[in-house]
Amino acid sequence: MRKRLCGIGMIFVLAGMVATARAAIAGPAERYLHVKVEDASKGESVNVNVPLSMAEKILPTIHKGDMHNGHVKIGHADMGDVDIRALLDAVRTAPDNEFVTVKEKDQDVRVAKSNGNLVVHVRDGNKGGQKVDITVPMKVVDALLSTAKDNELDVSAAIRALSDAGDSLLVTVEDASQHIRIWVDSKGSQE
Amino acid sequence: MILFGKIALGVVGTAVAGVGLLCSEGLVEVKVVERQPEVHHVYVIAPAMLAPIAVYFVPQRHLSHAAAEIRPWMPTIRATLDQLRETDDMTLVEVKEPGEHVRVAKEGGSIVVDLEDHDDTVHVSTPIRAISSTMEQLAAAGPSI
Repeated sequence: MRKRLCGIGMIFVLAGMVATARAAIAGPAERYLHVKVEDASKGESVNVNVPLSMAEKILPTIHKGDMHNGHVKIGHADMGDVDIRALLDAVRTAPDNEFVTVKEKDQDVRVAKSNGNLVVHVRDGNKGGQKVDITVPMKVVDALLSTAKDNELDVSAAIRALSDAGDSLLVTVEDASQHIRIWVDSKGSQE
Repeated sequence: MILFGKIALGVVGTAVAGVGLLCSEGLVEVKVVERQPEVHHVYVIAPAMLAPIAVYFVPQRHLSHAAAEIRPWMPTIRATLDQLRETDDMTLVEVKEPGEHVRVAKEGGSIVVDLEDHDDTVHVSTPIRAISSTMEQLAAAGPSI
């Protein structure tokens, strides 16, 4: 009786080990970038779903314009003489804080670093004005800057970081009729 | 009698092998329903392998321009199709407008395009493998650089 119980116990242990090994071999779940644009006034909607692993593999194959090997070149002239790389690097190394707060009669802008995310809020106080919320995990900013060249951003690495960052709502833009949402999760559909 | 049997078996075997080979890359399915001015139904199902074969027989001078355009993008096309092959079935793009609906999806090894508007309903399903070999055939056409 004892031998039989021992045998059954061993089978359960082995089954557990096999299940754990399979889960380890399967690796992390696929993550998807979703874009949803809805225009209620026109009754239109556009949904785009892209597996992040697909984007990560495709980007390095594109060599067109400023895009090469998954890196995008950024010229100072293109950014109105703002050194975007230096700016991102400054944000990356700074502690959690509110960097920019602009309060006007009909507009509110807030740029902050909070809980490992770069957060941008824009509120247009006019009737039907836009509300913009952007949340970028700092890991993604780190990855963007991971390339050695000064005038480049590593988009491929940023997508990889986005994939590792977990479910996140990246961008929402709302106005009186339009609603735009960009997010990452592990579901292949938007339902 | 036995000889006839052997010949028949050979013919049937060759036919089955031929059909198997033709269908090895799957089937392209095209379904069109026209509603206006009259209702028409078109349903075509064909072995996907015919597409790269057809490209092979098109005179090179007709394909050289397309080949030159597509060749620089072949690494991107290859990477996209490889990734599509590996990814789970999913809707890639969906556009809805009043009276119009377009959907591009990956379903069971094929890219499926569904289009529906006031006048027509169109459904096209093409195996990814066939798209891949047709693209390779197209890129290989024309003078090499």
